Amino acid sequence: MGKSWLRVYIIKRLIYAVIIALGILTITFVLVRVGPSSPADKYLANLAAKGQDIAQVTAAIEARYGLDKPIWQQYIDYIGNLLRGNLGWSFSTSMPVIDLIKTHWIYSFQLILLSSIFAAVLGILIGIYSAVKQYTKTDYVFTFLSFIGVSIPSFWLGVMLILVFSVKLGIFKSYYDTALPLFSLENLKALVLPVMTLGTGMLAGYVRYTRSSMLDNLRKGFITTARAKGLPERTVIGKHAFRNALLPLVTIIMFDLGSIVFGGAYLTEIVFGIPGLGQVSFNAIFAHDYPVVMSITLIGTFMVLFINMATDIAYTYLDPRIRYD
Amino acid sequence: MTKRTRIPGKEISKPVYINTRLVNYYWQRTSRNKLAVFGLVFILFLILLALIGPSFTADPTLVDFDEKNMPPVGFTNIKSAYHIDTNEFTTTEIRGTGKHPLGTDGKGRDMLSMLVSGAMVSLQVGLIATGIALIIGTILGVLSAYAGGWVDNILMRFTDIMMTFPFFLLLVLIVFIFGPSLAFIVLAIGLTGWTGTARLVRSEALSLRTREFVTAAKALGATDKRVIFHHLIPNVMSLIIVIATMSIPGVILAEAALSFIGLGDPTVPSWGIILEAGQHSLDTAWWIAVEPGIMLFLTVLAFNFLGDGLRDAFDPRSSV
Repeated sequence: MGKSWLRVYIIKRLIYAVIIALGILTITFVLVRVGPSSPADKYLANLAAKGQDIAQVTAAIEARYGLDKPIWQQYIDYIGNLLRGNLGWSFSTSMPVIDLIKTHWIYSFQLILLSSIFAAVLGILIGIYSAVKQYTKTDYVFTFLSFIGVSIPSFWLGVMLILVFSVKLGIFKSYYDTALPLFSLENLKALVLPVMTLGTGMLAGYVRYTRSSMLDNLRKGFITTARAKGLPERTVIGKHAFRNALLPLVTIIMFDLGSIVFGGAYLTEIVFGIPGLGQVSFNAIFAHDYPVVMSITLIGTFMVLFINMATDIAYTYLDPRIRYD
Repeated sequence: MTKRTRIPGKEISKPVYINTRLVNYYWQRTSRNKLAVFGLVFILFLILLALIGPSFTADPTLVDFDEKNMPPVGFTNIKSAYHIDTNEFTTTEIRGTGKHPLGTDGKGRDMLSMLVSGAMVSLQVGLIATGIALIIGTILGVLSAYAGGWVDNILMRFTDIMMTFPFFLLLVLIVFIFGPSLAFIVLAIGLTGWTGTARLVRSEALSLRTREFVTAAKALGATDKRVIFHHLIPNVMSLIIVIATMSIPGVILAEAALSFIGLGDPTVPSWGIILEAGQHSLDTAWWIAVEPGIMLFLTVLAFNFLGDGLRDAFDPRSSV
C-alpha cells in the first residue's frame, strides 16, 4: 500500500495549521488595537503618581511597544517577535515573559496531566461498566452522578473541598505549598484536592462519552458475530467494542483539553494558589501587565492548535479506514 | 389558494414553533423524562424568582455591620466583639433569625436578597449571550451550507480559528482589554461562543439543502433569501432549541467564573461575585460561599437535565 498520500496529507495539514496560526495572531492583534486604551495607558497612572512627565513616559512606552510605527509595520513586528519566541517584557515582575512562563509552566502541566489521567482512567472504566449494565440500578446511579459532575462549577467545587477537607476536617492544606519538590509524595498529597477539582467535571464527561460510544458499538453486528462465535464476554467488550469506541472518545478528550480543561485549570490554580500559568495570568490582570495576559492566552491557543494537528495526523496511522486522497 | 384544507400529513412540514401538533408530541416525549421536567420546573421557578422576587426581599445593597456574618436559620455562629468601655473581649453564640433566613455576608447584607438579584443577572447573561451566539452561529452555518464554495471555505476556516482559542482564556483576554462591564461581558460571551452552533447548523443545513422541498421552492422561483429564511432556518429550529438549552449553562458558568477571578462587573451582585467574597471567609462564614454555589449548580443542572430531555425528544431514533 502506497503511503505517499499520507505525506501529502501531512503537508496539507501543516499548511492549514499555519493559516490558522496566522488567523489567531491577526485576531489577537486586532483585539488589542481596537481596545479602548493603548497598552501604554495602563502604566501611566502609576508613573504619573511617581511625579514623572506624562508626555515623556507615553513617548517612551510607545516607542518601546513600537506604537509610533505605521500599523502594518506593527503587525509584522508583532508576528516576527512571536516567531522568535520574544513574548515581550513583563512590567509587574520585571523579566521577559518567556522566562516567567519557563518557571511556571510545570505547575500547570502537572495539574493538567494528573487530572487527565485520573479522569480518563476512572471515566472510561465507569463508562464501560455503565454501558455493559445498561438500564440497571448501577447504570442509573452512575448516569445521575455524571450529570451532577458535569453541572458542578469547578471553582465552587474547589472552594467546597477546601471548606470540608481543610477548614472543617484539617486533612489537607488549603493552599498549595510551593516549597515542595515536584517529584515527592508531599507534592502529590498537596495536589489531591486540585486534581479532584479539575478532574471531576472531566471524569463525568468521559463517563457519559464512553457510555454512549460503547452503547453505539454494542448494538452493531460485529459484536453479535463475536458473541456468536463463542468469544468470552471479556474479549467481546474489551477487544471488539472498546477498541472501536476508543477513537471517537480520544477525539472528544483532545477537544475537551482545549475548550474546557485549560479554563478549568486556570480557575483551579487560582482557588488553590498553585503558581501555574493561570495564576500568573491572574496576577498580571491586576497588575495591568498586558503582555503576560496576552502571552498566556496565546500559549493556550497554540497548544490547542498543536494538539488538534497531532491528533489528526495520528489518526491516519491508527485508523486504516481514514484516507485523505 | 387562500382556502386552507387539511391534507393528512401536511402540517408535518410546518416548522416546530407554529405546529401545535408537533409541539404537543415533543412535549409528551420530553415530559416522560422526569429529570427534564424537574429541570423545566426549576428554570420556571428561577425566572419567577428573578422577576418578582426583588419586590418581596430586602434591599440587597443594604449594609448593616451590626448584623454581619449572621448564619442561616437553624445554624449558629460565634460572634466576637470588643467592648471599648470595659476593655473586654467577648464571644457570643448567635443564631440565624427569620429576618435573614439565609444569613448575611461580611457587610451584613441579606444573603437571600443578594441571591435573588443574582438570579436575574445569571438569567440575563445566559439568555442574552446565548441568543447572540445562536443568531451568529445559525446565520453563518446556514449561509456556509447554502452558499458552499469559497464562502463556505472562508467561513469554516474562520470558525476553525475561533474554535482553536480556549473559550475561557479568550474571554479573559477580551474582558481584560475592554474592561469588565456586564453588557460587555455578555457581548463578549455571545461573540465568542457561536462556533459550535455554526458547525452543527451547517451540517444540518447541508443535508436539508438537497431535500425535495428546497428544490421545489427553488423551482417555484423562491429567492435565496426566501429559501434561507423560510425553509432552511425554520427547519433547523429544533436543533437550535436543543443547542440553546445546552449552551446556557456554559454561558452562566463563564460569567460566574469571570466574576470569581475578579473580572466581573463590580456594580452587579452576581452569584460569582458573592462566591468570590465568600471563599475568603470560609472559616468565619461558610454559607457565603456555599449558597451562591448551590444556586449556580442547581441552575446548570436544571438546564442540563432539560437539554438532555429535549435532545432525546427531538431525536426520532431514540425511544423515549
